[in-house]
Amino acid sequence: MAINKALDRIVGLAMLVLATTVFLYYTIWTLLLPFVDSKHPIQSFFPAPVWAIRIPVILLLLGGAVVGSFLSVVMIRSNRKKAAKARRIQAEAGKKGR
Amino acid sequence: MTRAQQQLSIGVLLASVYMAAFLGLVPLPEKIQNDVIPVLPLWAIVSFGCLLLCQLGWGVLTFNDVPEAHEELMKEIQEARADLQKKGVEVD
Repeated sequence: MAINKALDRIVGLAMLVLATTVFLYYTIWTLLLPFVDSKHPIQSFFPAPVWAIRIPVILLLLGGAVVGSFLSVVMIRSNRKKAAKARRIQAEAGKKGR
Repeated sequence: MTRAQQQLSIGVLLASVYMAAFLGLVPLPEKIQNDVIPVLPLWAIVSFGCLLLCQLGWGVLTFNDVPEAHEELMKEIQEARADLQKKGVEVD
């Protein structure tokens, strides 16, 4: 019980730290670097600005694809179950009517 | 004014301000116009994602166990299960 709680704490803290880091890094990358000289040493921490556009777009598309596929698999499975159930009920009704 | 109307009007306001800046209707320094304005929507989406992740992480971090509620819930589940099975509904 206690170790679950500790694990929860660690996961929550990790998510918090990750979100803050990503936010600060991306903000500096997109909003502050254009105003910094190209010779300044801080430029070495950031890849080329094109990637500031490409990476989020690629991640968004990937995320959308994952969510869409998950949704379709669940819906197909549910429809198949419904069709099987309807067929079963039809068969039983047919047998009883005979 | 409903909440939806409020959100929509704020959204329209922000969109029009951004549109004015994007189309160059407002004279801005060239650096800002070319490098910062086009990337603002994507930055907003990324920051919103980070905000959501922060809220999730904070919630997970500060959530405390409630053992009595857990026991009560388990008992209610068992009662419901027994009741439904008596009435002939299939329960997993």
